[in-house]
Amino acid sequence: MSDLQLEIKNLIIDALGLEDMSADDIGAEQTLFGEGLGLDSVDALELGLAIQKRFGIKIDAEAKDTRKHFANVASLAAFVSAQKAA
Amino acid sequence: MTWLPITDLLLKAQPERQVALEPVLHHPELRERALRLAAALQARGVQRVALYLEDAAELAIALLGAWRVGVQVLLPADAQTQTRQRLSAQIDLWLDDLSELDAEPLPGARLLPEHCRLTLCTSGSSGEPKLIDKSLAQLANEVEALERLWGQNLGQASILGSVACQHIYGLLFRLLWPLCAGRPLYRRAVPFPEDLQRISLDQGDFAWIASPALLKRMGDNLDWSALSRVKQVFSSGGALPGEAAESLHERLGQWPTEIYGSSETGGIGWRQGDTAWQPFPGVELSLDETGALRIASPYLPAGHIEQSADAAEIGTDGRFVLRGRLDRIVKLEEKRISLPMLEQALMSHDWVTDARLGVIQEGRAFLGAVLALSTNGVHVLRNQGRRSVTETLRRHLAEHCEAIALPRRWRLLLELPYSSQGKLAQSQIDALLAAPRPTRVEPFSREELDGEWLLQLQVPVDLAHFTGHFPQTPVLPGVVQVDWAQQLARQLIAHLPPRFAGMEVLKFQQLVRPGDTLQLSLRFDAERGKLYFAYRNGEAACSSGRILLEQAHG
Repeated sequence: MSDLQLEIKNLIIDALGLEDMSADDIGAEQTLFGEGLGLDSVDALELGLAIQKRFGIKIDAEAKDTRKHFANVASLAAFVSAQKAA
Repeated sequence: MTWLPITDLLLKAQPERQVALEPVLHHPELRERALRLAAALQARGVQRVALYLEDAAELAIALLGAWRVGVQVLLPADAQTQTRQRLSAQIDLWLDDLSELDAEPLPGARLLPEHCRLTLCTSGSSGEPKLIDKSLAQLANEVEALERLWGQNLGQASILGSVACQHIYGLLFRLLWPLCAGRPLYRRAVPFPEDLQRISLDQGDFAWIASPALLKRMGDNLDWSALSRVKQVFSSGGALPGEAAESLHERLGQWPTEIYGSSETGGIGWRQGDTAWQPFPGVELSLDETGALRIASPYLPAGHIEQSADAAEIGTDGRFVLRGRLDRIVKLEEKRISLPMLEQALMSHDWVTDARLGVIQEGRAFLGAVLALSTNGVHVLRNQGRRSVTETLRRHLAEHCEAIALPRRWRLLLELPYSSQGKLAQSQIDALLAAPRPTRVEPFSREELDGEWLLQLQVPVDLAHFTGHFPQTPVLPGVVQVDWAQQLARQLIAHLPPRFAGMEVLKFQQLVRPGDTLQLSLRFDAERGKLYFAYRNGEAACSSGRILLEQAHG
């Protein structure tokens, strides 16, 4: 697990108030929303804000399907890396 | 575009009338598909249908098709297994895809008002889901009033919504109103700000049917000057925080239009900015003896007065101010959640003897549960750990409610702290949920005999230390036992030297686990500066030792 993935997992746990959950309990490829971790669209909104704030990046409002990056921790980490590099 | 009453939506094809966007749908196709569906429903002998369709245009087709042949429509709030089972006795068909129902179309016709029957499902305060019947007149009165208030301002704006049409707000604002007014509606709900921007800016004029869940999380990333073309921003489903309204006002140069209402009553009042609420035309308000709002309205059945559980004050000008909820229905991000229903569901589990829920507001709003565990529940906690208990109970609850209502925070007790009058205030539950899990213990009895104290205490089942020690087999750490002995001794024995100087003959003989009842003996030998402690669990010695205490150095 990369440091960035770990940081994102901890951000998810903190930002969404997931008690009794540790980073080890979230798989990098585990689906975050709907089934899987069972998060909803309000969590997605909260997480979007938290990610942008923590990493100082912006979710591109021009591009389509930006929320696909929120599918799981691995895709989020890739998204954050790409945005930070940009 | 000319206004079409709901009853006339299937009467004549109107080729120039655009109904929906992405993909585009014009009125003749909407009408044709509704009339085909009507024929298919009739051929199948369907009398009552539940519709669960995320595409607003598909829902419109199904709704009008059903009404064309007098099929009663039920709109469930969710598609949970439990919901489907519960409703199964009341419907002939659950329809979440229209592709399978097709037949040669019936002729177009004016809808008969007595044919247009709609039932909404929502959470009732008793815990049972509540079914609310709507007549065509109620719905028609409301969309006509909306058009009179804001139709001119909206013009031909495309209508984009972040909310589902399964609920009264989305159904009226995102579906029926644009249908009648001839404004194109965007089919899918758009829950994310960046998508809302992208889709909006592709339109000519546009307006938003939004909710506080979205409007208070718009972020700092949008092109507000481009978005300020928005004709109007509606917000309903729950209270919009003042700062969110203020922020929209600053960024868009206009106040959002907040709608206050309920599934039962439809719209009650509206406001723009931090002012009192203006009742909709024809809505008559009064207060009962508890200060709760009573509503008579053209959007209610004739002569009916709806008793709400919303406390309010009515000004001399007829406008009103809301003062909070008087019952145990809460709103989590606009979802109406019945706490009694969830509590009953929790108590139906073998591990739980009592349950109370409260709302925690931290970034987002979520529920917390305070539980009294049964003997079996404690057994599982002791042998499999806390997470096993909470995860199992979450899964159990998931069969009864939407994911949003699943508690994210749990406080586990052996019994809930009822007063001697049998009362347990919500404020106490909220305080338990707000506080961190316990790290200390309160003895339930204490006595002194010849300088030796004997205390009885019960190890809290939810002690914070158990989480890491150990996740699957919670055991009271030795260091905590020593710490408790010293803390409790300081409460009971005067003039204990303040400084911890070490330990002697420390023995741990038996594990101490959640819920254990312990006897703790404490004796201070002042001459040697030694605090003797021993924990027993009935006959079994658990641990003992001496804590060396000394005076603080100069």
